[in-house]
Amino acid sequence: MSFVEDPACLSKSRLESDLVAHNVELPPAGSNKEAYVALHLRHVDQTNAADFSSDDDQEHNVAGEDPEGEKELDPSALTDEDLKALLFKYGVKAGPILASTRAVYEKKLRHLLQSAAEGELNEAENAVLYSDSDEEDVSEGNEDEEKESEGDQEKKSETLEPNQQQRKEKNAPPQKCDFSYPQCFVLSSRLRPCPPRNNEHSSKRNSKNALKSSERTRPHRSQIPAGISKVSSIAQHSGLRSGDPVKDILKDLLPDTKTSPTGIYATPRRPIKGAAQRPIQYAYPDTPVSPTIVERQDVARRLVPVYVQVLVFFALVCILLLIFVNVENTNSVVALLENVNQGPDGEEGIPVLDEAAGGDL
Amino acid sequence: MSSTSQKHKEFVAEPMGEKPVMALAGIGEVLGGKLEEKGFDKAYVVLGQFLVLKKDEELFRDWLKDTCGANAKQQRDCFGCLKEWCDAFL
Repeated sequence: MSFVEDPACLSKSRLESDLVAHNVELPPAGSNKEAYVALHLRHVDQTNAADFSSDDDQEHNVAGEDPEGEKELDPSALTDEDLKALLFKYGVKAGPILASTRAVYEKKLRHLLQSAAEGELNEAENAVLYSDSDEEDVSEGNEDEEKESEGDQEKKSETLEPNQQQRKEKNAPPQKCDFSYPQCFVLSSRLRPCPPRNNEHSSKRNSKNALKSSERTRPHRSQIPAGISKVSSIAQHSGLRSGDPVKDILKDLLPDTKTSPTGIYATPRRPIKGAAQRPIQYAYPDTPVSPTIVERQDVARRLVPVYVQVLVFFALVCILLLIFVNVENTNSVVALLENVNQGPDGEEGIPVLDEAAGGDL
Repeated sequence: MSSTSQKHKEFVAEPMGEKPVMALAGIGEVLGGKLEEKGFDKAYVVLGQFLVLKKDEELFRDWLKDTCGANAKQQRDCFGCLKEWCDAFL
């Protein structure tokens, strides 16, 4: 629809994205909207006209899909309203999109797009798995699959370089790749996730997954670099098989994982070499010690000296009594001693003591 | 119940008024300086951002991380502090 509109009606960002989609050089950064409009009129409208005349489905899809495709893939080119609408489509009720909030909402939209793309990816893989022998037909024939595949390839390229800026560069080349290549890329990204991604995600969550999944996927890792097309199908089978028990284990291990709408859980895993080179005893160098345990240890440490302190206290009391007694006269000393020797009846002894002491002084 | 720091308790105890951004829990000198550079020189400006993001935890924490590079704990502390302040005074 947008390519039918007058370019002057489009926003500057939309014009920019259209120009980029048609590989047209952007005017210098500070130029007016008019410059964008002029370029747009010159290049984009011409190509649109050419596309209309030709019957090539692929180009038509690219031209037709790209303004929308660009919208979906490049949140920074969206207008505020479009961004808000897209977020709402994903179930996010966004607040005002201001200069300060725009970045956060764009980031959120990217996350949503990636997770949606991964969901589609898995579906596409499932589809490809069953039509493995018809790779060429798929890549050339079906319109619908072509649309999806292009969208997927563009999105796959995103997942390949997670959270990297190379996304934009990758958008162009993968569109012309064979359908078989994305399989192996996806697989390798599945089985051998990039370290930066895992560093960003919480490593604690992945530690348990890594142990189990790394053991399972390790034998496949060596096969992938060897061949591409053959191995990819083999690895696909085993990868998919291992995917299901992993999913269940995931649920057991992490009951609080967010349920994805497609029911597919994509959990980034730690690098496999981590499990090989760093066995469990080194993976957790610091055993977590809860505060209660620490307190108990401290108290235990203190318990021993307490008895010692009590004994020392009584010893001192006896010594003081003896000293006190020695200072007094012998008469009172004898009485005192008798009282003391009578036993631990402190109540009887003390008043007598006091009387004796009082009487003495 | 997670324990709250002294800073948190002090901040939540009274209206923030003109308190500097470093009075927020989780925001120390370094982060406070970075926020001030971006224009968030008072706690109420950060409060404004918090409210504009509709008090959403994920969005606010993302914003904090992008703006001043706060780590997870600092994000959590700041969010909790502002949320409690809002619950009490807003």
